[in-house]
Amino acid sequence: MTPPDRDIPDHEAADILAAEFVLGTLPLEAREAAATRIRRDAHFALAVARWEHRLAPLNAGYEDVPAPDLLPKIEARLFGAAPKRQSRKPAFWKGWFGGAAVAAALGLAVLAYLPTTPQPFRPLTTLAAENSDLRYEVGLRGDDLRIAHIAGAGADAAHVHELWLIVGNAAPISLGLITGQETTLATTGLAPGMVLAISLEPTGGSPTGAPTGPVLVTGVIEKL
Amino acid sequence: MGDDPIAALLLRIAAQDRAAFREIYSAASSKLLGVLLRILGNRAEAEDALQEVFTRVWLRAARFDAEKGRGMTWLIAIARNHAIDRLRSRNVQSNNDDGETLAQVADSGRGVLAGLVAKGEARRAVKCFGELEANKSAAVQGAYLDGLSYEDLAARFGVPINTMRTWLRRSLLKLRECLDQ
Repeated sequence: MTPPDRDIPDHEAADILAAEFVLGTLPLEAREAAATRIRRDAHFALAVARWEHRLAPLNAGYEDVPAPDLLPKIEARLFGAAPKRQSRKPAFWKGWFGGAAVAAALGLAVLAYLPTTPQPFRPLTTLAAENSDLRYEVGLRGDDLRIAHIAGAGADAAHVHELWLIVGNAAPISLGLITGQETTLATTGLAPGMVLAISLEPTGGSPTGAPTGPVLVTGVIEKL
Repeated sequence: MGDDPIAALLLRIAAQDRAAFREIYSAASSKLLGVLLRILGNRAEAEDALQEVFTRVWLRAARFDAEKGRGMTWLIAIARNHAIDRLRSRNVQSNNDDGETLAQVADSGRGVLAGLVAKGEARRAVKCFGELEANKSAAVQGAYLDGLSYEDLAARFGVPINTMRTWLRRSLLKLRECLDQ
């Protein structure tokens, strides 16, 4: 963390931090903390947006560099319709899960064996893991993502379950914190093949914007 | 929205419009690759980052708020943030010297803004940066455009890190006062 500046009053600290985040000068740890704060603190997010606007004239300093057509790769990653596999190396999140491909497959298997009683939502997948009785049912109601706690112990007082979306090789994106028996989260852009995962994080959620705790359960979206 | 075609595309993307996604790639990929290449200084990594950036554009389009800024500003913020995150992670992994990056910034002082068409906000930005001392203006622009850290900048300008931090913080406050008028 950067030390306070004697000549800058405390009430300016948040706005200075927003400016430094936009400028990009912060070291990694402070950057990650600021990125987390953007998601949690609407005032801070607004301060960041204002600084992005203030400094936007500098964007004229970036010159165009004609880009190759990477759209097919990007669309394959997002929409799953891979015309040809561009890479054989395993996605890094598989290492992060530690054998989670199996767990993800299990998620699908569990879904297949769930009782076919009418669901209050359109099921997408069940989040589960081999050595755990923790289970979440994930589905859509309209555009809302609904996460229902079905079985297993919830987080203790010092922790929280955080839901992540993993698309191809991209870094996991936080969809939000799980609270209570049933959580509703706004989301867009889900597609078959994307992976949902829940990690154990300190209360308040991951302090870094990336998963920091163990992955508890996972599931693959089969179809929408 | 008439004067911000990128914002219009982002609203369509937020509604899952894949045609709009292809259009925004055509409209913005060159600019964003320029951003990524300048900060990362490596073509292969910049192209890899470009895929990541457009993945985020699709997934986060619903968070774009046209009231808070222009579409291209939002896209460039995503690209800069991603590139700078990569840069900072890289510096943590291998604490090598930044000679190459530092050479780039040497002449980036006033060139950027001098080249801007003097209209509207750009004219104000030129005026406000002009009110800073030349080396401080260059430090702010080097940080923004090249993704230089306090450490990089301190080495470049031959001052202690704490001095650089104070320079930049005071410069930012001055800029805020001037730009918000």
